[in-house]
Amino acid sequence: MAKKILIVDDEPDMVTLLTTLLEDNGYETVSAYNGIEGMEKVQSDNPDLITLDITMDKETGIKMYRKLCQAGSQIPVIMVTGISDALGTFLGRYKDTTEPAGYFEKPIDNEALLAKIKELIG
Amino acid sequence: MCTAHREYFDSMPCYLTVQDRDFKIIDANREFTEKFGEHEGRYCYQVYKQRPEKCEDCPVERTFRDGRRHKSEELVTTLNGRDVWVIVYTTPIKNEKGEITAVMEMSTDITDIKLLHQALRDSQSKYMQLFEKVPCFISIQDRDLRITEANRMHREAFGTAYGKKCFEVYKHRSKECQPCIVKQTFNDGEIRVHEEVVTKENGERMNVLVHTAPLRNDAGEIDKVIEMSTDITQIRQLQDKLTSVGLLIGSISHGIKGLLNGLDGGIYLVNSGLKKDNRDRIDQGWEIAIRNVDRIRSMVMDILYYAKDRDPNWEPIEAVDFIRDICSNFTEKANKLGIACSCDAQYGAGEFEADRMMVRSMLVNLVENSIDACRVDSKKDDHRVSVELEGTPESVIFRIADTGIGMDRETREKAFSLFFSSKGAGGTGLGLFIAHKIVKSHGGSIKIESEEGQGSTFTVELPRVKPAVLEKVEDKKLCPGGADNGQEDSDS
Repeated sequence: MAKKILIVDDEPDMVTLLTTLLEDNGYETVSAYNGIEGMEKVQSDNPDLITLDITMDKETGIKMYRKLCQAGSQIPVIMVTGISDALGTFLGRYKDTTEPAGYFEKPIDNEALLAKIKELIG
Repeated sequence: MCTAHREYFDSMPCYLTVQDRDFKIIDANREFTEKFGEHEGRYCYQVYKQRPEKCEDCPVERTFRDGRRHKSEELVTTLNGRDVWVIVYTTPIKNEKGEITAVMEMSTDITDIKLLHQALRDSQSKYMQLFEKVPCFISIQDRDLRITEANRMHREAFGTAYGKKCFEVYKHRSKECQPCIVKQTFNDGEIRVHEEVVTKENGERMNVLVHTAPLRNDAGEIDKVIEMSTDITQIRQLQDKLTSVGLLIGSISHGIKGLLNGLDGGIYLVNSGLKKDNRDRIDQGWEIAIRNVDRIRSMVMDILYYAKDRDPNWEPIEAVDFIRDICSNFTEKANKLGIACSCDAQYGAGEFEADRMMVRSMLVNLVENSIDACRVDSKKDDHRVSVELEGTPESVIFRIADTGIGMDRETREKAFSLFFSSKGAGGTGLGLFIAHKIVKSHGGSIKIESEEGQGSTFTVELPRVKPAVLEKVEDKKLCPGGADNGQEDSDS
């Protein structure tokens, strides 16, 4: 059965791109436009992996990621962001938060992203 | 005169003469004879000044008249032609009856002292000129921070009245500043430097770099403090500009990354569609690519506008045609995204004076923002962008409303700040800042009404005729959320 990936991004173009890219490569996708919607989809769709944008209004990716960590989620998360700060260090400030499984800066290198996903969930 | 007295008389280290009522010299000491020659049969004024008659104001004459001692200062010439300044004392010589028979005149050479005085006066006047003409603001203050002296630039810029306090003059304050470097210098005698913003008499604000130094009296105590301020307003302005250029570059790079990402996405979809022969996917990808190219274009326009600070090029504009033209460019674009577009221009809204290019780019920016706010809103199915035009006797009002994502309070308040963007990687934070700047440069106002999840309305009011006085819009609001970027910006 195809692995399911949840795409969380507030930019519709980005969602379209990731959906197409991942589906073209044999994954199933669901999408959400902010952190709150994202958490709902985690519950309802039980994805195998999440790509998460950081700058979204409503709930940011960082907040959603922390929620996932606090809930003890084992789903690998790949951060996809336009912010070029050292995100790992930033997230490391929180005691209850581990570093995300992957981290990609926009514009995304499609091949590298696919390779990372393959490495994480096959 | 006895021999002993004669000897004393002769060896006195000054020029001594005894004169009769005609100012004829009847006796003189050795010192006199050496410098001025024999006195026999000669008159005072001949010997000392080579004059044919007595001087107008003569101390010897005064002593003859009133029997008292007199003093004066004279310039005399020696035998060898050297000019000598002397201080002259006269004293009466009386006979047994108490009648004045002669006057003794004692002249002391004070040429050296006179020359020293002259040098001192010259150097004082040089220092005074330096103090007056130095191109910075200098004041001298006492322990109560009262200005006891100020140079010309200071007096002209601040209308300085002596005795007024420093903080009253510089800052129009009623209390002293914290910290006060003049006080600190009074306390420890150290030279101090501090940067301040002061207000000139004409209300103009000025950035100054202030230096203080102690002035000590003869006993070595600090009795005054000299304060010297240099105008660094231009440097500060330049620094602000450079800072904002730095921020601009960061912001542009960030924006370009976002747009590249969009372009990459579009290209990927087109390629994927071609491979799979999927026409819908090609169209979808191409749409994304076109939209991002459009955004790059408007971003470049924004940057150009930001870089070039020009005054409006005023011309009369027919409002209805103007707004219809702008709307017609958007209808198709909006419809493709599933957004309804309407343009409601009040018939006979009339003409207004403005810079066509500037106002057009401002309105285009606002409409693009509205379309974007709808495009990214996944909460509602139906979206609408409506543009309205209304004319009043004094102004024209443009209202651009959308049913998009809306703004929370923070976003609303920071909306016009330079480099603030709510679009993450998709924005440079220039668009609304420039829109605000354009409206201000036309003497108009712009305000936002918005509610999160409901949509936003931008109202721009521009005066029909060019206002007589236009406020210069500064680029100072650099930081997101700068001090006075309220959501309602109708001040002018």
